[in-house]
Amino acid sequence: MILTNIEIGLSIEIDDKLVGNLIYIGKKHYPNEFGGFLIGNYSDDFKKLNITDTILPNRYKSTPFLFERENIGVDEQFEKFYKENPQKFYVGEWHTHPNNLPIPSNMDIKAMNNITNSKEVAIQNPIFLIIGYNKIKTELGFYIIFKNKIYKYETVNK
Amino acid sequence: MNKSEHLDSVIKTHQITKEEKLLNKFRERNKEVKDDLFEHYKGSIYNPFNSGSYAKNTAINTKFDFDLIAPFKRYAFGTKGTLKEMYEDVYDFLYEKYKDVAKVKKQKVSIGIEFYADSENDIVKIDVTPGRELNEKQYIEDSKLNLYVYSRYGKFDAGSERIQTNIQAQIDSIRNRATTEKDSIRKIIRLLKVWKKTKFDYPTKSYFLELITIKAFDNKTIAGNLWDKLKTVLEYIKDEVTKDSFTLKDKGNSSNDLADTLTESEKRTLSNDMKNILDRIEENDENIKTYFPENAKFKEDKKEENKYQVKGSGFFTIPPKNERFG
Repeated sequence: MILTNIEIGLSIEIDDKLVGNLIYIGKKHYPNEFGGFLIGNYSDDFKKLNITDTILPNRYKSTPFLFERENIGVDEQFEKFYKENPQKFYVGEWHTHPNNLPIPSNMDIKAMNNITNSKEVAIQNPIFLIIGYNKIKTELGFYIIFKNKIYKYETVNK
Repeated sequence: MNKSEHLDSVIKTHQITKEEKLLNKFRERNKEVKDDLFEHYKGSIYNPFNSGSYAKNTAINTKFDFDLIAPFKRYAFGTKGTLKEMYEDVYDFLYEKYKDVAKVKKQKVSIGIEFYADSENDIVKIDVTPGRELNEKQYIEDSKLNLYVYSRYGKFDAGSERIQTNIQAQIDSIRNRATTEKDSIRKIIRLLKVWKKTKFDYPTKSYFLELITIKAFDNKTIAGNLWDKLKTVLEYIKDEVTKDSFTLKDKGNSSNDLADTLTESEKRTLSNDMKNILDRIEENDENIKTYFPENAKFKEDKKEENKYQVKGSGFFTIPPKNERFG
């Protein structure tokens, strides 16, 4: 699946199988929210982000309206991905919105800003995926903070 | 950010003229269904006609709303024929006719024909609403029809035969206001439809949003820039829709109250949604893009040489310690 934000001219590519897997993992925690870290790398021209894997948190709290994750015990997994060829690294985060739309809440926007502006994060533009779902439908929302504005990626018809 | 400029771009990127090719596919299918109905029910039906947003001049290019009204004569289904029999007969005919090329399904008062995606991945959907004149030849005089309610429709029970309306009057009243007040009413209706499209199967009908927008304009002083106008209408809906005294008269039959097409809980949801939109935009202007998104397909390409960036020299990151999402 390829998504683009036409306004900023940047894209994301994510394997359908990985998307399916994230949805499956997220829904297993119904009615609570759940999420994790996104792993990937950039294309040579830095115009496209390839999202390839996920790392799930070892410690987290979740309710139907909250997902709080910690970063304890995941260092080794990040290092392992970083040693691969091509290198893979932390590119963002994902979480679910059970019975709701993939629209960022105030808390989400705050977290997105914290992460984007964190000195510990090497990349300037982490990606945030929200998986909104109910009994009949699942929708994805990919967001980025670029030059202090939030942008949403859209699927582009080929 | 300038909210009115954004809203203006939302409207421009949703203009139906930008989707001329797709619009033509809808027009062709619409004609095909209309001709098939007229041919099959020859002598028992008056001319089928378009209602919906396209006919009312309030359409957006992500949802055309091609609704076709099939006005039947009083005895089209026998002297003792019921509205249920009319509805089922039309469903059976459309199902048999289109089952190989479309998904045909029963809806609240209409029958939906959703044609399978064509080679360009375009999906055309036509809704057919069968209605029957009240008395023999009376339709020619008053354009009134009785509709059958297949599934629960707000306070109208499934199987109810009580919706009587003049759809032509509904179309005319909305089209007239939307055309004469195109910089205010029409724009606000289109923006509300863009918002509705961001929701899962939202119970509020487009006709409800059209009527409540007009009622807001009739009852409030709505002035200023586009955002000021939209904000006043959103506030009006938030404050009024849950009041016991709130009514929304059908322009096709003043004894029909469109407020009854929503349950009390659905009205509360609508009011809360309006409150959320207003609060979130108040907190941060940028949130307007979430509720009222531009149609990305027609957004002007501001081709800057943007790239994903790295803060330092490497990519390796252990993400920040604790983060909360909601």
